Amino acid sequence: MPTRAFVSPWSLSRWLDRSSLLLFFAAWELAPRAGGLLETFIAPPSVVLMTLWELLLSGELCDHVTISLGRAIAGFTGAALIALPLGFLLGGNFRTFERIVTPVLRFLGQVNPFSLFPLFIILFGISELSKEAMIFWVCIWPILFNTITGVKGIDPLLVKSARSMGTGVVPLFFKVILPAASPGIFTGLKMGAGTAFFMLIAAEMIGASCGLGWLVWNAQINFQIPKLFAATVVISVLGMILNMLLVTLERRLLGWLDSSPNH
Amino acid sequence: MAGVVDVPQQIQTDAKIVVKAITSVFHLKKTRTEPAREFIALKEINLEVKKGEFLVLVGPSGCGKSTLLDILTGLAQPTSGAVYIDGNKVTGPALDRGIVLQGYALFPWRTVRQNVEFGLEIKKVPKRERRAISDNFIHLVGLDGFADRFPHELSGGMKQRVAIARALAYDPEVLLMDEPFAAVDAQTRESLQDELLRIWEATGKTILFVTHSIEEAVFLGDRVAVLTPNPGTLREIVKIDLPRPRHNSDTRSSAEFGWIRRKIWELLQNAPHESRHHLNAVPVAEAISPTASL
Repeated sequence: MPTRAFVSPWSLSRWLDRSSLLLFFAAWELAPRAGGLLETFIAPPSVVLMTLWELLLSGELCDHVTISLGRAIAGFTGAALIALPLGFLLGGNFRTFERIVTPVLRFLGQVNPFSLFPLFIILFGISELSKEAMIFWVCIWPILFNTITGVKGIDPLLVKSARSMGTGVVPLFFKVILPAASPGIFTGLKMGAGTAFFMLIAAEMIGASCGLGWLVWNAQINFQIPKLFAATVVISVLGMILNMLLVTLERRLLGWLDSSPNH
Repeated sequence: MAGVVDVPQQIQTDAKIVVKAITSVFHLKKTRTEPAREFIALKEINLEVKKGEFLVLVGPSGCGKSTLLDILTGLAQPTSGAVYIDGNKVTGPALDRGIVLQGYALFPWRTVRQNVEFGLEIKKVPKRERRAISDNFIHLVGLDGFADRFPHELSGGMKQRVAIARALAYDPEVLLMDEPFAAVDAQTRESLQDELLRIWEATGKTILFVTHSIEEAVFLGDRVAVLTPNPGTLREIVKIDLPRPRHNSDTRSSAEFGWIRRKIWELLQNAPHESRHHLNAVPVAEAISPTASL
C-alpha cells in the first residue's frame, strides 16, 4: 500500500480544506450579534463553549454521555449477540428456512421503531430497558440481513479449497467462513452502530430522565438555548468520533478488500 | 449406501493412484415436479498412475473430468468403485493430496505467505517452520518479494503460482490440478506450463492434471487419458514419448507433437456411437479443438 506523503496539519492546504468549517463557525459567531430573532434563538459558539465548560465542571455532561453511551452499547451488543449467530445459521446451514422466513423478517425490519416505543414503555416502563430495547430493535435488522448476505455470498471455491486440505469444521469456520463473511458483517455492524446512536437521542427525547437526548429536550422546554446547543454539539462530536472509529476499524480489518473497480 | 458392492479398503499395488471401476450417477431434475432423471457422469473408469508420473486427463466439458477429480480429492463419493492412494482407499480429503483449482481459490484476506501457509496451519506445523517452508515455495514459484502482497494485488498468473505453492507447501505426494491454467492468457499459460514442468522435475510429485486443451495435455503429460462424454468414459490412454526436458518452442514445433495432438483430436472426434444419440449432444469437435489453448 502506498504511504501517503506527510502533510503538516498546519500547512496552507490543510487550512484550505477546513475553510468551510471555519467560515461556518465565524458566521455562527457573528450572526446572533446582529440582534433580533437570531439573538434569541441562536447561541454563538463562544457561549456554547462556555456552557459546555460549565456542564463539564459540574460533572453533568459526563453523566449524560456515560448514560447515553451505556444504553447504545447495551442495545447494540445485545442485537449483535443475537443477529450474528442467527445470520450465520440462516445464511449458511438453513438456506431453505431462510427463504421461508425472510419476508417476515423484512416486514419486521420495516416496522418503525418509534411506533414500537410506546409498546416498549408499556412493557419495560421508563426504565433503561425500554431505551435499550429500542436500540436493540434498530440494530438487529441491518446486522442480521447483512450477515445473511455476507455468509450466502462466500465463494464456494474457497470452502472447497479449504476442505480439500482436510480442514475440520471449527478451523473452517474461523479461518474461512468468518473472514470471508466479514465484509458483509462489518457493513451490518456499521449501519447498526450509526442508527443506534441516531435512534438513541430520539428515544431519550421521548421518554427518559437523563442522557444526551433528554438534555436537549430539557433545555428546550426550559428555554435554555445555550444548553440546547451545547448538547447538540456534543452529540455531533460523538457521532463523528464513532464514525472515525468505524472507518479506522474497517481499514484495519478489511484492508485486504480489493477496492479497484475492475474486480 | 444400499446396493453398492463392497470395495476393499486396501489393495496390493505398486501404483501411486488406482482408480477402480468408478461410476458416478447424478439424479437431475429440470423442474421441481419432473421425476429425477439419471445422468451418468462417469462410467466404469479404470486408471493407474505411477509414482512420479505426470498424467493428464483431457476431454470436452461435460465428460466428467472434474467429477473424477472431486472423487480423487475425496470431496465427492462415487456411486460405485473406489480410488486408492498407495493402496489405501480414499474416504475423504486429506493432506496427502494437494489440489489446485481453476479459479485460484486464494483466500483474499491472507497475504501470499499466509495463503501458502494455510495447509501448514491445518497440519499444525510450528510457526518458525512454516515460515521457512513458505519462503522455500514462494521462491520455487518465482514470487520472491511478493510474500506480503494480497491476492488482489497480483496478476492471474501470479495468483495461480501462489495456488501451486500453497498446494505444494504441505508436501503432498500427489498434486491434483483442475484446469489450473484455463483462466490466464495464452502467453502466461505457456510460461506457467514450463514452470510447472520445472517444479514437477524438482519435486518428483505425482501429478494428475485435468484440462480441455489437447495442446496442453500433450506438452505436459507422460500419458494422456482421453475422456469422452455422455456418459464419461475413458476412451484411451495415449503415451507421450516426447523427450524431456520439454521446452515450449522446441517441443511444440516438433513433428511428433503435431502427430500426437492429431491422434488425440481424432480420438475425441470419433467418440463412441452412444454419444451421438444423446439429447443436446454438442459435436465433440465443436466443444474441443486442437487449438483450444489459443
